[in-house]
Amino acid sequence: MSITSVDRAALVERLSARLSVVGLIPFLLVLVVIGMALVEPRFYGLPNLFNILRNTSFLAIMACGQMLVMIGGGMDLSVGATAALASVVAAKVMASATEAYGFDPGVAMVLGILSSLGSAAAVGLLNGLCSALLRVPSLIVTLGTLSIVSGITLMMTSGMPVYGLPRGFIADFGRALWWGVPAPAYVAIAVVAVVCLVQRKTVLGTYIYAIGGNPLAAIVSGISATFYVVLTFVLCALLASVTGLLITAQMGSGQTNLGGDRLMLLSIAAAVIGGTSLRGGIGRAEIVGLSALFLSTLTNALNLLRINSKKELVVLGVVVVAAVAIDSLGRGKAAVE
Amino acid sequence: MDQVGGIQSAAADLPTTAERRQALAHIVSLVYRVLVPASPVILALGFGLYVPAVLSLENIINIVQQTAFLFVLTCAQTIVLLTRGLDLSLGPSVSMISVASALTMTAVVGSDGSNGIIAALAGTASGLLIGLLVGLFNGIAVAWLRVNPFVTTLASMNICLGIGTSLSDGHPVFGIPEEFNVAGYRLHVLGIPMSVIYAVAVGIALHLLLQHTIVGRSFYVLGSNPRAAIVAGWPRRRLLALAYVLSALLTAVGALILTARAASGAPNLGGGLSLQTIAAAVIGGVSLTGGRGGLSSALIGSFFITILSNGMNLAEIGGYTQMLVMGAIVIFAVALDRVARVDV
Amino acid sequence: MSALASTPLPAASKPPVPSGSAVPSAHKLLEAIEISKRFPGVRALDGVNFDVAHGEIHVLFGENGAGKSTLINVIAGTYPPDGGRLVYDGQELRHLSPHQARLIGISPVFQEFSLVPDLTVAQNLSLGREIARLGFLHVAQMRRRAESLLAELGFDLDPRKTVRDLSRAHQQMVEIAKALLSNVRLLILDEPTASLTERETQRLFALIERLRRENVGIIYVSHRMREIKQLADRITVLRDGKLIGSRKAADVTESELLEMMTGRKIEFLFPAIAQKPREKALQTTGLSAGGIVADVDFHAHAGEITGIAGLVGCGKSELIRAIYGLEPLTGGSVQVNSKPCDQISPALSLSRGVCYFPADRVAEGLALERPIRENVSLVALRLPVLSTFGWIRRGAERRLTGQIIERLQLRPPSPERTVAHLSGGNRQKVMLARGLTRDFQVFLFDEPTIGIDVGAKIEVYNFMKALVEAGAAIVLVSSELPEVLHLSNRVYVMHHGRMVAELMGNDITEQNVLARFFQDSSRGAVG
Repeated sequence: MSITSVDRAALVERLSARLSVVGLIPFLLVLVVIGMALVEPRFYGLPNLFNILRNTSFLAIMACGQMLVMIGGGMDLSVGATAALASVVAAKVMASATEAYGFDPGVAMVLGILSSLGSAAAVGLLNGLCSALLRVPSLIVTLGTLSIVSGITLMMTSGMPVYGLPRGFIADFGRALWWGVPAPAYVAIAVVAVVCLVQRKTVLGTYIYAIGGNPLAAIVSGISATFYVVLTFVLCALLASVTGLLITAQMGSGQTNLGGDRLMLLSIAAAVIGGTSLRGGIGRAEIVGLSALFLSTLTNALNLLRINSKKELVVLGVVVVAAVAIDSLGRGKAAVE
Repeated sequence: MDQVGGIQSAAADLPTTAERRQALAHIVSLVYRVLVPASPVILALGFGLYVPAVLSLENIINIVQQTAFLFVLTCAQTIVLLTRGLDLSLGPSVSMISVASALTMTAVVGSDGSNGIIAALAGTASGLLIGLLVGLFNGIAVAWLRVNPFVTTLASMNICLGIGTSLSDGHPVFGIPEEFNVAGYRLHVLGIPMSVIYAVAVGIALHLLLQHTIVGRSFYVLGSNPRAAIVAGWPRRRLLALAYVLSALLTAVGALILTARAASGAPNLGGGLSLQTIAAAVIGGVSLTGGRGGLSSALIGSFFITILSNGMNLAEIGGYTQMLVMGAIVIFAVALDRVARVDV
Repeated sequence: MSALASTPLPAASKPPVPSGSAVPSAHKLLEAIEISKRFPGVRALDGVNFDVAHGEIHVLFGENGAGKSTLINVIAGTYPPDGGRLVYDGQELRHLSPHQARLIGISPVFQEFSLVPDLTVAQNLSLGREIARLGFLHVAQMRRRAESLLAELGFDLDPRKTVRDLSRAHQQMVEIAKALLSNVRLLILDEPTASLTERETQRLFALIERLRRENVGIIYVSHRMREIKQLADRITVLRDGKLIGSRKAADVTESELLEMMTGRKIEFLFPAIAQKPREKALQTTGLSAGGIVADVDFHAHAGEITGIAGLVGCGKSELIRAIYGLEPLTGGSVQVNSKPCDQISPALSLSRGVCYFPADRVAEGLALERPIRENVSLVALRLPVLSTFGWIRRGAERRLTGQIIERLQLRPPSPERTVAHLSGGNRQKVMLARGLTRDFQVFLFDEPTIGIDVGAKIEVYNFMKALVEAGAAIVLVSSELPEVLHLSNRVYVMHHGRMVAELMGNDITEQNVLARFFQDSSRGAVG
């Protein structure tokens, strides 16, 4: 560290802190919107805006779950697989309930949703327990469960989509417009609002911040770190399954591969760009929601510009690295493990 | 007794008493030290009881060849793990390099098969070059931009995935010159397949690097205590980036050998390799917190995973179930590693 | 303290002893009987007996590494003892957890705070005891409760501020307030004045006095004589994990305490060093660095030990770290052997013959999982004797390390042993061994004897003696005043980042140095 290079580093640090990504989001969003308006008129069409809104909803819900795990000090790579599992389980249950057992569609839907949530909760429980009790880093645990859950999902479907969903589920919910706005948006807003409320106004919210911010302080105050860590993973898995259900309702069938790794990466990106710290203890649902909006707008724009989904992964990868880099440079020496 | 405040050091002891945990750790540690090198053999014998074909000479040769491939890639993963990092991009990187080098070769080789050697060399060069670029991306992000290695390689994993599947629209690339396949895979020198020779070469090179060079020593120090390296005047960032670059180059070598075996550029070549190499390294004794492990770890772990995979195949356990098992093994191996290391 | 008494205990957790502070009791408040505790490589406590009475201030005295920290952690439930028992108000404590300890009134304030950095003061004070209905927080009520508590304690803090944004001293106030929130009956303070100003210290002492009158027992851990004289009812001295003695404060003199603490008469602790100052080996002009060092002129001669003294946080460590290249320079210059340094970095410093021994050897000095051999050769690997073009000559490395280990009498003398398994004293020897792997002319010692036993300390002092008598320049930064006083030929004093005094010869006395600790540079006289 020469005199000059140390000063340079300090300067970069100060600049980055000011450039904190969270503050950039509205600016970048406007940039993308204006840019697209000039280049591609289809961007402003109502169908496309609804598209953005739906994707934002899917992402925001999953990102809130990811955020909760991150605040508690972990990371969940299995969210995509869990969403797929939820999708497949729901579809199978709903299909067999209506076709094989002749249940009323409404009842079938409820059964499907419940079993879907239940399977997700099981995955979350597995993630949480391995992470908290076995002391295995959550990254490795969820890397493992990613594989396990994918395997289970594939075994259940042999890779084929699952048909037989009740019509109502798709028409009145997944693809429906309630008061002129896509139905998933309402779910997303409700989720973000509830999570925000929990974070600011409840004991639960405070405790999750505590176990991530200073686990020892939490333990010493009688807060069971194990319980809350497991809880964050279960909540994350549940929210991932909600996203899975919404996507299933929109696509009309149970999908074994809900966009694969893409959703998982997007959820991490949305959480991090939305100000959630990788070290735990920091994160706000409303900002994560905003960053989900930004990312969905961005991916939509890329799509319209005919950059296919595979190349889009490249852009996303770069965006994530850039966001985390700016964030950690602004924080000084923080992020190096 | 470096105790300050005291709460921090006690974290590992809550809620059970320190003694019980230490005793348990001692036992597990001992078992671990004896069991780990023996585990591949035990596993093979176990499978052999159930499916005798596992222990046939033909299969053993098969296992050795398979292990050779995994070994090269596990060495790549080990280098990064030593520095307290992780490389999630290994699998997709292999796929991408495979397709890219295949495309290069098919572009250079004549329709009648001429220029075969030049094409092979071009393909090798392009593969290594791409590996270098991936390594530079990872290395710069981790060392200079201070991005968490997990997030970095998560991102590069998706970048490689994106590029890899776009290059040939997801189709395998055929038409690789025979010279390449022969040199990479089919050739036997003194009865020993080339894959094994490459693996041995890589093994020797890695051992020399880690045990006898300053660069290799730095990986251990960086993984064990990066601050100490800085205070001792080591150029931390350059060395850390170098770790990722070397790892990526080794990954490229592995990718090229696998491409030769497949005789085509395969966009799915990487598959679950990221997970497999991490599992192999950890099972073999590489610590996830850095600073520990080496050649023997990579070797033992590679054998273990290969025998596991081979055994499951011969026992006709379905592909999806295998995914399950692999995932569970990773978690189990790391958990065991954690318990065994409590006493340090 | 009305705010404290009205805080209800959570119903679900029943304390093993009835609470209520003013009940006169026939029992001692706390009795620790034959407590023993081992950690890998060290016996931290060996059959220690210790007790505290209601309304007593009992000082735990001893050097760093004596076992004070371990004892109070056992009492606070951080970990259980390997042997012995704890009796609290006549009842034996079994399987004490940190949370349970707090529930029964044992409130520790450690040097590592148990605060969540990104929550507010009010949230931290309420952690685990939130005012809530059906899970929903009464935010305003909690804030008011925090405000009244802070007001009662006389702490000037805004409960809405995030803890991360507070200075360390203010964070400590929050930590203390938190400790007093529960029905505190036994308060444990671990070196609380380390980063407080004089005024804050006196305020703390007033608070302690108030608690004493309310029959709260207080364990006060310190190794500073002045504080002990002001506060203690009784003093217990620990050394190397053993109880040396417990005395009433009135019945014991300072030198007796020092003798108990170090185990030998003060004259025999420090070796006689023949110091023959020669040319200037190290010099700074107008140096500003690390956010605290301001405009420092400083120099050290070869063949001499130059000491730097001052309160914790005065910038003395930052000064030598900046000279070595670990803190960013914002002004001024450094000269090594009369040659100005355009660029400064650890690597460059090493090549110029400057060696730095960090204060925190676990965090900055040693790679614990690696063998002794690798740790010793860490700064010298690139030299031709140990490597050629990046290829390590393992044989030469082993020989060199072996020789040095012998010379320093490292026990056991096996270079392949992992450093993690060594005691504090031996770990420090591994660090010092580095100093012998190259041709160094300047040695910067940063708090060299923290966390090591007396025997090892003497060996460190003899090591310094050997270096200095062979002609090296040594800069000694230490918070242990006796060390600086007895070893240095010249002593600098720093205060708030500025050099306020330079003392030589007979001017180097405890009184003179202490007087300068609080001096502003405007009044400072050099010489």
